Amino acid sequence: MNRLAIEPGSTVAYHTGDWRNQRPAYRDKWPPCGQTCPAEEDVQAWLALASDRQWEAAWRTLTERNPLPAVMGRVCYHPCERACNRAHLDTAVNIHGVERHLGDLALQQGWRHRPLTDQQQTQQVAVVGAGPAGLSCAFQLARRGFPVTIFDAQSTPGGTLSSGIPEYRLPKSVMQGEINAILALGIQLKLNTRIGADISADTLREEFVAVFLAVGALQPRTYPDDGYGDHSVMSGVDFLRRINDGERLSLPGQIAVIGGGNTAIDAARCARRLGAEVTVVCSQDPHGSHGGHPGAEIPASLDEVNQAEAEGVRLRYRMGVQRLVRSGAHLSGVEIARVDQIHDRHGRFNPVLFEGTEEFLPASLVVFAIGQEVDWRGLEPLVQTETSGIFVGGDAAGKPRFAATAVGSGYQAAMSIIALLTGVPPHYEHHDKAEVTFRDIKPQYYPRQARREGALMAASPGEFSERVAGLGNEAAHEEAGRCLNCGICFQCDNCWHFCPDAAVIKQGQGYRIDDDYCKGCGICAEECPSGHIDMERVAG
Amino acid sequence: MDTRDAFRHNVLTSGHRACSGCGEAMAARMVTDLIGPEAIYVNATGCLQVFSTHNQQSAWQAPWIHSVFANAAAVASGVEAALRARGEDTPVIVQAGDGGTFDIGLQCLSGMIERGHDVLFVCYDNEAYMNTGVQRSSSTPHAVRTTTSPPGRVSEGKHHLKKDLISIVAAHRMPYAATATVAYFPDLRAKVDKAMRIKGPRFLHVLSPCPLGWDHDAALSVTVARLAVETGLFPLIELEYGAVTGVTRLARQQPVEEYLKLQGRFKHLFADKGGAEEIRHLQALADANIRRYGLLDANTEWDTDRASQTQRHGRGGYAASSREVSP
Ligand SMILES: Cc1cc2nc3c(=O)[nH]c(=O)nc-3n(C[C@H](O)[C@H](O)[C@H](O)COP(=O)(O)OP(=O)(O)OC[C@H]3O[C@@H](n4cnc5c(N)ncnc54)[C@H](O)[C@@H]3O)c2cc1C
Ligand SMILES: Cc1ncc(C[n+]2csc(CCOP(=O)(O)OP(=O)(O)O)c2C)c(N)n1
Ligand code: SF4
Ligand code: SF4
Ligand code: SF4
Repeated sequence: MNRLAIEPGSTVAYHTGDWRNQRPAYRDKWPPCGQTCPAEEDVQAWLALASDRQWEAAWRTLTERNPLPAVMGRVCYHPCERACNRAHLDTAVNIHGVERHLGDLALQQGWRHRPLTDQQQTQQVAVVGAGPAGLSCAFQLARRGFPVTIFDAQSTPGGTLSSGIPEYRLPKSVMQGEINAILALGIQLKLNTRIGADISADTLREEFVAVFLAVGALQPRTYPDDGYGDHSVMSGVDFLRRINDGERLSLPGQIAVIGGGNTAIDAARCARRLGAEVTVVCSQDPHGSHGGHPGAEIPASLDEVNQAEAEGVRLRYRMGVQRLVRSGAHLSGVEIARVDQIHDRHGRFNPVLFEGTEEFLPASLVVFAIGQEVDWRGLEPLVQTETSGIFVGGDAAGKPRFAATAVGSGYQAAMSIIALLTGVPPHYEHHDKAEVTFRDIKPQYYPRQARREGALMAASPGEFSERVAGLGNEAAHEEAGRCLNCGICFQCDNCWHFCPDAAVIKQGQGYRIDDDYCKGCGICAEECPSGHIDMERVAG
Repeated sequence: MDTRDAFRHNVLTSGHRACSGCGEAMAARMVTDLIGPEAIYVNATGCLQVFSTHNQQSAWQAPWIHSVFANAAAVASGVEAALRARGEDTPVIVQAGDGGTFDIGLQCLSGMIERGHDVLFVCYDNEAYMNTGVQRSSSTPHAVRTTTSPPGRVSEGKHHLKKDLISIVAAHRMPYAATATVAYFPDLRAKVDKAMRIKGPRFLHVLSPCPLGWDHDAALSVTVARLAVETGLFPLIELEYGAVTGVTRLARQQPVEEYLKLQGRFKHLFADKGGAEEIRHLQALADANIRRYGLLDANTEWDTDRASQTQRHGRGGYAASSREVSP
């Protein structure tokens, strides 16, 4: 229509769109929660569904990337919450609490994973290790129709989730429930089968077109003392494995745990539950003393440390072990001293102790939780030669060694394996999307709301029952509703209300810009709470 | 008939010639869609009338009459009386700018209220005579630059204060008078809904930023209106029969500079000492409003945080018309 049109009628005949020099574009962003999640969950998407009480849909969206939400909601250190934009408004969304709730609901309701295809592939894939990395990889492959066999040396699946993490943090029934749901996709699980011993690496290589090595890092680093194996010196992983196997160790009255990681804290809290007086000796300073600087502060998570202290575990910060003090074969304690430098010139962990600051710490058992290494024995033919079709993931692939990282690497491995077997390169959604920072958020549109936490239940001696309660439907729903929906439209109608030109048209789902009339004022973008609208220059 | 949007009638639809980012168009679109197309709209002369009716084209999708500059309220009184005589109860709405309300339209408005006509009068206040090129009106705030109150050696912009119109209107002891802005849609909606449930003369004063006359970025029309409220310069209040019956509490008070610095019409105040004094004066005026209406301590849940809360999965909220609006 000509701009000088004078036919009587409606002004819609006159297109004001050619006045503009910029135009709005609706664009999904990739919020920091999902970007930081080591399993690359689409956190915002499942929170939005949960805030709408679409529980099952939320669980299905979450499990696209992470089939272990009930586990991860309990044990993951949730870096997503440190990145959450809401922290700049009041407090971060309790993402892990909602995640756990979804996982628990799925177990309660018996929701089953659905395959993504009914086409059955024929190429056999082997996964070595039934920890989170192996399970995640097998899950992704099985949903896409690939026959998978998981081998594990132990008699129960779960890897370190089962042998390392104590029951009061992760009840075995929860872990087993989620593993069963994964296996129900038709995955073969061969327990008590060590690759490199019960089946040779070469045999495996011959029988499977692709192998995913998710063997963890299970070999404890040891302290140069010959007492290992007797009753007075133990490694943290062995100590925890025995407790997780159900062994009710009878412990001496006083125990020293050496190390500042989560393994040390887990070992200390278990020992405490078995009635011992426990002191943790760690080379670093407490949380918050160096502004969160990694390396200088205790690596175990703050929640864990707080709960341990509340349970009566004592912590000696910035102290190191000088020597074990024995009288004959009997261990009487450890000599500890003040740590000067934690790292050497090369940045390696190598604490130097101040002479003259020694103290005697009485203990009849010392548990060393000073790190673990990968045990490659018997697997050398797979990792030492340049063979295609061999993938390594999870703890075995290096640091960081977290459960969610393992899940993420299982997904990546599955995608790489599929790419190798089908010849189609993997496609990663989200990765091409812009990020969205708090500067893109319009805080005035979000009410301040207190964060809901799962209740902390009392710890009684000798009890390994779970300490943190779930959120329950109501709190999980409210908590999910605290999500700002960073960079994603939540249909608030703002752009539609405010457009002076009726150029934003509301549709059944979402909105569209009517280019015939948009004058490019930019109000819609300015007032979009979540930063979903970008203004782009137009030529002319 | 424009039926592009299934959720909104678009009583004032696209193709109008308002400036990009026009707060008056925005306000009129929200108010008229809340009321719906089954009403008779009487429009005084001014920007809204001019930009919506051009070259024999109309942007109105509802019965609409243009009066002259001064007499919209009188025309509406006649329309209402005629409808009453015919036993019809179609709502009658007046729309006017601040010139057509505070100044030349004031006596017709007063008469309409005094005679008790069942009419809603909506003033879209952009604080000057915008249509004729930004001349000061009695609504223009103190110290504002307009073409007829230029700052210079002897003046810091408009000398006089903004007329306290809502008090003048409320002094008629009429059923309902309220202030609102484009910035708080839930607040605006509540007030329009309430006005439409009440019989008799009603008055709604809607602050409507003007990117041209206020000289701010077109994208900031809502932001500027929000700051007018949050500084205390434009209190959101309701009055019934002369008494203050509702106050939108300020969740937090912003200093007036936050509001002033976004607008070219106040730019001269940041240039010299005289300007700084005027900024202090405007701050004192804001503080006086806050004290007068208890804007910080009013005993109400309804505050600026609540009044800006958006819904999730919004489903519109505008009046349904007889043209079935279905999701
Ligand atoms: C005490 C402790 C507490 C932890 N707490 C947390 C926590 O709270 N949150 C968190 O995010 N992370 C935690 N971690 C780390 C986390 O458990 C690991 O990052 C994660 O389990 C690694 O998963 P994975 O699948 O790579 O290996 P693993 O879980 O270690 O699984 C490896 C599996 O491979 C099997 N295997 C090894 N070699 C062979 C072989 N040759 N043949 C067959 N099977 C083999 C093993 O039997 C084992 O089951 C903790 C670790 C420890 C030790
Ligand atoms: C009696 C009379 N005087 C002057 C005019 C010229 N005129 C038309 S619109 C207008 C200004 C309108 O200002 P306002 O009512 O504030 O509305 P705005 O344009 O700012 O929305 C004027 C002075 C007129 N139309 N009639
Ligand atoms: S507010 Fe929601 S979308 Fe934004 S970072 Fe936090 S969890 Fe993610
Ligand atoms: S508010 Fe309307 S006119 Fe302004 S940029 Fe957005 S769509 Fe275009
Ligand atoms: S303003 Fe609201 S409705 Fe519009 S895009 Fe942003 S979130 Fe969606």
